[in-house]
Amino acid sequence: MSDFDKAIAQLRACRPIPEIQVRELCYKARELLIEEGNVVAVDAPVTICGDIHGQFHDLMELFRVGGDVPDTNYLFMGDFVDRGFYSLESFLLLLCLKVRYPDRITLIRGNHESRQITTVYGFYDECLRKYGSANVWRYCCDVFDYLALGALVMGAASELQGTDHAFVDPNAQATMPSADCDDLEIEILNQTGHIVSRFRRKDPPAPQPNDSQLSNPGSSPSQQPNHTPSRNGAPGTGATSSSRGSSSNAGASAVLCVHGGLSPLIDSIDKIRLLDRKQEVPHEGAMCDLLWSDPDEIEGWGLSPRGAGFLFGADIVKCFNHKNDLSLICRAHQLVMEGFKEMFDSTIVTVWSAPNYCYRCGNVAAILELGEWGANGGYAPRGNGDVGRSSGGGGGGGGNGVLAERVEQREGPGRRYRVFEAAPQDSRGMPAKKPVADYFL
Amino acid sequence: MATNGAQSPSNAGVQSITTQNGAWRITTRKLPILKAEPIDALSHEIGIPIPEMIFGDNYATIEYIPSGWSISFNARDALDRVSKTEEGMLQVAVAEDWKKDREGREEVKQVVKPFDWSYSTDYRGTTAGKGEWVETTHERDPIRTDLLSRPDPILFFDAVDLYEDELADNGIALLSVKVRVMPERLLMLSRFFLRLDGVVVRIRDTRVYVEHGGKKVVRQYTAKEAAYEDVKEKLRARGEHVTEALRDANVVAPLLRTVTDVTEVVELG
Repeated sequence: MSDFDKAIAQLRACRPIPEIQVRELCYKARELLIEEGNVVAVDAPVTICGDIHGQFHDLMELFRVGGDVPDTNYLFMGDFVDRGFYSLESFLLLLCLKVRYPDRITLIRGNHESRQITTVYGFYDECLRKYGSANVWRYCCDVFDYLALGALVMGAASELQGTDHAFVDPNAQATMPSADCDDLEIEILNQTGHIVSRFRRKDPPAPQPNDSQLSNPGSSPSQQPNHTPSRNGAPGTGATSSSRGSSSNAGASAVLCVHGGLSPLIDSIDKIRLLDRKQEVPHEGAMCDLLWSDPDEIEGWGLSPRGAGFLFGADIVKCFNHKNDLSLICRAHQLVMEGFKEMFDSTIVTVWSAPNYCYRCGNVAAILELGEWGANGGYAPRGNGDVGRSSGGGGGGGGNGVLAERVEQREGPGRRYRVFEAAPQDSRGMPAKKPVADYFL
Repeated sequence: MATNGAQSPSNAGVQSITTQNGAWRITTRKLPILKAEPIDALSHEIGIPIPEMIFGDNYATIEYIPSGWSISFNARDALDRVSKTEEGMLQVAVAEDWKKDREGREEVKQVVKPFDWSYSTDYRGTTAGKGEWVETTHERDPIRTDLLSRPDPILFFDAVDLYEDELADNGIALLSVKVRVMPERLLMLSRFFLRLDGVVVRIRDTRVYVEHGGKKVVRQYTAKEAAYEDVKEKLRARGEHVTEALRDANVVAPLLRTVTDVTEVVELG
C-alpha cells in the first residue's frame, strides 16, 4: 500500500492527514498540474460534477451514486472548498485521487479556489482550526494556482443507451421511450439508479433552413411529461438559425467544461489556451470571467448590476458553440434546486453537486454522465455493488431537473443525469431539524 | 425529511402554537428552496431576479384569534419592497476597476436590469385584518426587554430563513425570522443582514412584541449601517476574530449607526 493509498483511506474516513503529508501531496499535485494545459482534453466516458463546497459526506454519496475512482472517470468543475464543514478533507481527497489516478480524475478551477475568497468563506479558518497554522491553507492555495481553467470532453456519444433499471413510477414506463430506442437523448436517474424519466431527441431537423415550426412546442413528442420548460431559451428563435449549420452528426462534437461561463474576451478555445493561468484569480479579465460569469435570459453580453461580472445570453452561447464545434457547454457555479438546469435549447447546462447546500437549502444534487462514442453508451454496471441501499421511501423526490425547451440545434451528446439527495449521516441543519432555542432580543 | 413528502402540501413543514388564553396563534412554515418554475413565476411577478436561495414557501405568522388579525413575514412581500430601479443601487468593491478596464469595449451592453441586487428591504411584515398601525414612541409603548431577558421557559421557538444571497461571493444578504413564545409574552424578530465586502454592513430589524393578556401589538423597525472598513477597524480594536465576527449579525449590530428607528402600535378590537 503506497503512502497515497494510505492517505486516501484516511481521508475517506474524513480524517485530515498530517501537515507534512499535505505538503508532499501539494508538491506532487503541482508537478502534475503544471503539465496540464489551460484546457485539459478528457476522453468520454466521463462523469461531470459541479460545486462540492466542503460537503464531504455528500461527496462520498456522489461517489456511491456515480461509482468510485478509478472505476469511473471524473471531471470536477471546481468550488471544492468553502461554506461546508469539511473543505479540507474534500479537497485533499480529490487531490490525492488526482495524484494517484491522474488519468481518471480531472480537476478544474472554481472561483472559490482563490486566496481572497477562501479567507472570507471558510476554508482559511478551517485550516487554521484543524492545524493551528495557515501553512496547509498556503500549500493548497499554491495548488489552486495550477488548476486548469477548463476541460474539453472529446468523443462523447450522441446516442444514449438507456439503463435497464426499473422506473420510479411504474406507470410512467409505458409512456417513456425504451432503453434501446435509437434516439434517446436524456435519461434521469435517482440515487438508487431508478429511472425518473427519459427523453428522446426531438423530430430530426427538417432539411429546409429557417423553418419556424421548430419553435412550436406543439410539435414536441407526446411523452414530454411534467418537465415544463421553465426558461424557454430565446423565444424568438431567429438566433438559432445561424448556429444550426449543416453538421451531419457524423462524429460527436466536443463538450466544453468551465466553472462559470464565457468571456467577451474569449471567442475561441485557443484563446483560453493562451492565458497565463498560474496566478491568483484576477479581479477582472478573461480568466476571471471564465470562473465567474453566468448565463442569463438576455441578448448578447451584459454587465451584472453589481458592477462586476458578466452575463451572457443564448446568442453568445450558440455562436461560441458553433464557432468552436461544440455541442454543449457544461458549467457549475449556480445553485439549482433540481441539481441541473439546461438552458438555451440545451446548448449549456448548469450542474450542481452539493445537495442540501449549506445544510439547509433542501435542494438535490446532480452529476452528468457522457457516454463514449461508438461504444453504444459504454455504460457497464457500476462496480461498487451497493446500490441496493434503501431509498428511505424518498422515491425519486425531485428527480426531475430542469430542461430547457429544446429546439433542434447541433446534436448534443446523450446525457444521463444522476440526481441524489444529501448523505443521511450529515443531516445537521436540515430544514426539518429543530433550531436551538435562544433568548434573542 | 420524512415529514415533507408524506404530508399534504398545505401543512408540510408547518409548526404552530396557541397561547394558553386562546388569544394568539403563532405559526411557522419551513420548506426547501423553491424550484425553477416557481422561481421564474415569482421573478416575473415582482419584476426582479430572485435571490440565489429563496425559501418562498416559508413564513412566520402571529394571529390574534378573536378578530382574525395577523402579521406575517414572507419572502415574496419582503422582495417586493426591494428597489426595482437604480435607486439606492450599491456597487461591489471592484466595480471601479471594472469600469476602467471595460471602457471603450463595445461588445458589452448596458447594465442588465438594474435593481437593488443587495436585496435590501425595509419590510416590516404583512398585516391583514382590522386594526391600524399608529406611530408611537419607545417610551410610551416599550418592548419590555427587561421581561424578555428573564429566563422564562420558552414554549415555542423557531428560526425561519426567507431568502439569502451570496452576492456572487461579495458578501451576504440574509433575511430571516426568529420567534420565541414564553408563558406571558412573545417576541418575533425579522432581521435583514447585509455585508457587502469592502463596502457596507447593514442590519434592518423588525421586532414584534405581544403580551398575551393584552390586545396590543408593538412593532419596532430599526435600520442600522456603517462602512465596512469602520466595522472591521472596531472589531480589530476589540480583539475579535474579524472574519468570523463579520459573519455574525449579533456581534456586528452594536457597532453600527442607527439610521431609522420607528415604533408603531396596533390596538385590536
